[in-house]
Amino acid sequence: MAASRTTMENEDNIPEYEYVDVNTNVFHIGSFQSEWLKRLSPQEWSYQQQDETEFDANFAKDMQINAQTMDALKSVCSYDSLCCHPEEEKPDMETVPEDSILRTLLQRKKRQDYKASLKIHKNRHDLYAEELDRLTVVRKPDTVTDMLPEGEIILTINIYYPAVFDKFNYVRPHMTLLMTGSHTLAELRDAICCVSDLQVCGEFSNTPDVAPDFTSKDLYKSAFFFFEGIFYNDMRFPECQDISMTIIEWAKSHNFPPYSQAGMEDTRFSDLKVKVGFPYLYCHQGDCEHLVIITDVRLTHRDDCLDKKFYPLLIHKHRIATQKCAVCHIFIGRWFTKNDQFAPSDPCLFCEKCFRMLHYDSEGKKLGNFVAYPYVDRGAFN
Amino acid sequence: MAFDGKFRRSGSELVKLDCDYLLGLFQKTESVRFEVFTKIWKETKFSEIFHGTLVHENRPFSRLVLRVAYTYFVPPHSFQIRVGGLYLLYCLYFSQRASPPEKIHIALKDWGDVKKFERDAVEAHHYDIVYILRQLMHTKAFYFSAMPMELSFKKYKNHQAPLRCEKFIERASRPQELISIELLDELSNVHSHYDKLKGSVFSESEHSSSSVNLIQKDLVPQLRSTVVDFHTWQQKRSCLKPEDDSCVPVEESGEGTASHEETNKRAQLLASIKTKAYGQATEASKSRRHRQVELELSNSVEAETLNNQARPNFKKRTSLKSRICDSVHISGDIEKATPKTTVIYRLVTVDSEGPGQTEGGNKDVQNSGGDKDTG
Repeated sequence: MAASRTTMENEDNIPEYEYVDVNTNVFHIGSFQSEWLKRLSPQEWSYQQQDETEFDANFAKDMQINAQTMDALKSVCSYDSLCCHPEEEKPDMETVPEDSILRTLLQRKKRQDYKASLKIHKNRHDLYAEELDRLTVVRKPDTVTDMLPEGEIILTINIYYPAVFDKFNYVRPHMTLLMTGSHTLAELRDAICCVSDLQVCGEFSNTPDVAPDFTSKDLYKSAFFFFEGIFYNDMRFPECQDISMTIIEWAKSHNFPPYSQAGMEDTRFSDLKVKVGFPYLYCHQGDCEHLVIITDVRLTHRDDCLDKKFYPLLIHKHRIATQKCAVCHIFIGRWFTKNDQFAPSDPCLFCEKCFRMLHYDSEGKKLGNFVAYPYVDRGAFN
Repeated sequence: MAFDGKFRRSGSELVKLDCDYLLGLFQKTESVRFEVFTKIWKETKFSEIFHGTLVHENRPFSRLVLRVAYTYFVPPHSFQIRVGGLYLLYCLYFSQRASPPEKIHIALKDWGDVKKFERDAVEAHHYDIVYILRQLMHTKAFYFSAMPMELSFKKYKNHQAPLRCEKFIERASRPQELISIELLDELSNVHSHYDKLKGSVFSESEHSSSSVNLIQKDLVPQLRSTVVDFHTWQQKRSCLKPEDDSCVPVEESGEGTASHEETNKRAQLLASIKTKAYGQATEASKSRRHRQVELELSNSVEAETLNNQARPNFKKRTSLKSRICDSVHISGDIEKATPKTTVIYRLVTVDSEGPGQTEGGNKDVQNSGGDKDTG
């Protein structure tokens, strides 16, 4: 049943459902990899595809059947025998067939008819959805050293946007990254793009030119991941602090089970013990908290992007509607002003160009009284 | 099908219904040949399932279809359905529109089953099954992965437990496998040997004493008849199945006001109760044995004989009885009903034995249409 909980430690590292279709029990990723490799022949996980004739010959030998039977078998099982349409008429793949008995198609037909009745044919999501697809096509590396080793593990990781924005509680926007088992958690941290890393603190109405030099990422470098009771702290730089300590001590004083710590930069994914499908935490900038879910762990495949340089590979990114400049309504807002006599509202957003034109004279001298803060749009990474 | 318009179903549910339909046809043929499958595939024009998707929907849809098809390929489905599932995966994999093709996620926990499946097929000389499985391996159609799908801790608003088509699930065959002719031979040999040995130890006069004659004389024939009974009961049950299914749409059309979702749920509930009931009918609790209901049988003579045969055998399985008897209760007066047969239409669960029992019994009588015939 779905609720059968296994509290037992998973000794053999074969992932099983903890809750059906939701998440698995804890397993060690490195051992999971070796379990697969143990069960498969090198041929099965190699990138090389066996020659067709060789395959047939091997099959005939294995099954002890003669060439005649083999030919008959091949013709029966060939893919060409699957065509539902006569050869001369090529079916139209784009339209939903009219007279189908399949329920999927009946519903799709309804939806297509409905869409055709709309004035707008493609919405924002339809337009951009094809863009990232192009990134994930097979890329073969130029040099052998850049080649992903055969039998390596690939993890699919969803990083959710922090739920600071009301709407995010319903749509759960996220980005999806592909990582290999040899990547460290620090590399995952560097691959996560979050606008709170780009924020600039301070009021810069007098010196607008120097503002964007200090982002929060440079100032506050501490961060941690939390997987299965262990805090993985980023300690690569001298200014990094152990920001998980507060939580650990709090937990200790409230009789929670003890938590431990480890270094983010020393931990590779293959060393981790995790549940697939279970939400974990990434916390940076003190309180910017992202859920992290490992949705899939698998061996590499010949159709994957095999160039190491492209990893961590971004394969999905949610696009957030950007907020535009109050003046031109074209460019994304870069400045945020208050007590501004030129602005139509308080507070108000301006793009770089409109902000300069409205608030400074040709020599760059500040006009009037206002305070201005650099603004980073939520959709800055779109 | 007319209900689909009113109630939007999720994509995977629809795909599942379609696959159920296709594999249902395949099951009727009672064949595992790939030619037979392709014939059905072509007749239903199943590859059209990929037609009409938007370009960026191709990949997610392929993933969905393969994920659904994969569920048929792994236990607890019967061998034939698993073969159908394999063929379905093969056909879907090669007809999908995504390029490079979307791969089939195969879970580590299922790998042993897949290998065993392959061994079974090799042993039975089903070359087409082995060929297609190896061909999929050869074209590298699989992702060797942790789980058969990507898990992202999703909660569904009206989530239903994944329903399996009950017809597809393998029937228990262990009793038949265990009690083979050879075993019975062996057993009767051992039995007679033991009997003789025992007889030789004691003198002639002692033979009449009870301790020597404690062994059951008719052990072997009784064991055999039990297994045969079990088998015929199973056959009967599977014969009844289609009738059950056919009654569902009748009910639906009768209740025009009820939503499809509801009737569907009700039908499932009914089906589950029925299966429980059939399981129960043979194993009524001791206190209710006098009112035990028998399985639906075509004529009373057959019922009589089967009943007489079955009685002593089922006594052995009292432990199983006690486990089940709390969940569902059946009523019906067997004493009165001997000339007629009782049909179970509806059943009511009773919370506890004892005082509640009579109350429950009354409820049963009210609810069950079949009892009106008898009473």
